[in-house]
Amino acid sequence: MAGKKEKDIRKSAEQIVKSFTEATRILPEQKEMYYGLDSTNIMRPDGEPSSRKSRENFSRRFRKIMPSSDKEGNLRVEVAEWTE
Amino acid sequence: MDGINIKQKIGALKTGELSALENVERKLDLIEKIDGEINAFIEINPDVRAEAEAIDRNVREGRNVGKLAGLTIGIKSNIGVNGMRATCASRTLEDYVSTNDAEAIRRVKEADGVIIGMTNMDEFACGSSGETSAFGPTENPAARGRIPGGSSSGSAAAVASELCDLSLGTDTGGSVRNPACHCGVVGLKPTYGLVPRQGLIDLAMSFDQIAPLSPDVYGAALMMEVIAGRSPSECTMFDVDSVSYTDDLLGDLNGIRVGISPKFKELTDDKIIEVVDKAIGNLGDLGTEIVEVKLPNLEKGMPTYYLIVSVEFFSATRKFDGRRYGKKIEEVCGKEVLRRIIRGRHISKREFKGKFYKRALQVRTLINRELKRALKRADVIAGPTVPKLPHKLGVEISPDEMYAYDYLTVPANLGGLCGGVVKAGEIDGIPVGLQVQGRQLEELSVLKVMKSLEEANSNKK
Repeated sequence: MAGKKEKDIRKSAEQIVKSFTEATRILPEQKEMYYGLDSTNIMRPDGEPSSRKSRENFSRRFRKIMPSSDKEGNLRVEVAEWTE
Repeated sequence: MDGINIKQKIGALKTGELSALENVERKLDLIEKIDGEINAFIEINPDVRAEAEAIDRNVREGRNVGKLAGLTIGIKSNIGVNGMRATCASRTLEDYVSTNDAEAIRRVKEADGVIIGMTNMDEFACGSSGETSAFGPTENPAARGRIPGGSSSGSAAAVASELCDLSLGTDTGGSVRNPACHCGVVGLKPTYGLVPRQGLIDLAMSFDQIAPLSPDVYGAALMMEVIAGRSPSECTMFDVDSVSYTDDLLGDLNGIRVGISPKFKELTDDKIIEVVDKAIGNLGDLGTEIVEVKLPNLEKGMPTYYLIVSVEFFSATRKFDGRRYGKKIEEVCGKEVLRRIIRGRHISKREFKGKFYKRALQVRTLINRELKRALKRADVIAGPTVPKLPHKLGVEISPDEMYAYDYLTVPANLGGLCGGVVKAGEIDGIPVGLQVQGRQLEELSVLKVMKSLEEANSNKK
């Protein structure tokens, strides 16, 4: 049942790709637009790092929700299945 | 709205004529009474009374209070509110408690808005009907037995049934405008990059915007004043200050050019067009100039949008791998979420030489240019919001039929424009909304047109 469901969904994915390809076949090449903005702000305007208190708060909150840690309290990660 | 509009209510709250606690109690009573049927809320804020009392104390003691002082605000369950669950209406995150306020929420709290609870939605914002929530479907308070629209279904239904004064939803391809239309309330999708996204659990990062829903245009304008404007921690924002929208809402419409497109008629049910044309006619009577604009590639927005969304959603959901704070998404999510994940993976795998995603970003440029050109000829573009009436709750429709609800709303997201919805009329008791789209950062023009139509409609009653 699950196999059939996935097959149907794959089919609908193909359909989206097909209708996109058909709808856009004759359109001219353009520059890609990633966001609805012409430019992005990659620097904080004050150029300063966050305060020590803010960093400690973040660190505490992050440790509280991190998936798993080693004995020293470092974040432990593993490679996700979908990348294989 | 308790017999008074948002402007009158905020006036009463600020003078102490109405206490914030009294306002909260009325809403809680109503939620207790009718939300079992509406299902607009997933969770109620346990501290809401204490928060209201703190505002009342400030009013009594003559301290300054914020723009939203004492108004009750519902928040879509994909936006972080410290200490409350951000479930995305999914089993994946059903127990996830936010450890931070999203930046938009921080601003709402700073303006003394009282967060009353977290609202229901389509799971991970993947839907246009409000039926895909793991917490059950939401009812349409304005047209019982029909879908309220989505994905901000609970936020729209809560406002429409007066369970809260204002709410926040999110709009990725129409998720605020669509339910605003079906529920007969006001919704405004801000220009992409005007409202901070930090703390929002994303559906598609290049489209998502946090957006207000309100019973009237003034309320949406007021909320926009609070949440809009630069945030130093975000790189995809305009470097602009928040501006006053409420001061100039009732300006003269003389000379404003309202664009209409014949394409809308091709894509929309005749009955809806009839209501929308009447509303546009009213705008003409108010002194606007109606001009025709060309949108030759409008219908290409849909496949382009769904291709981009699938890829970005697949990427966004890779963090829901079942460790620590949630369940693995593929194992517990509903049909539509799984469909989009599998589709995103499939398209990502087939992506080579920029064949699909990159090509979609090129089409996005084309649609953006087309809209910009149309908005040179007109100040705003007016037309229908959704091409068909909301279907009956529980009636199964195909994914393509579901996606068709978004035909007229996705272009504003592709172009990063602003767009609002205000009630234009009804068909057999079902609300129909007029969509008004405007240039980037020209929310005020959109709100002014919406406000004039709202005034004209209320004068006719």
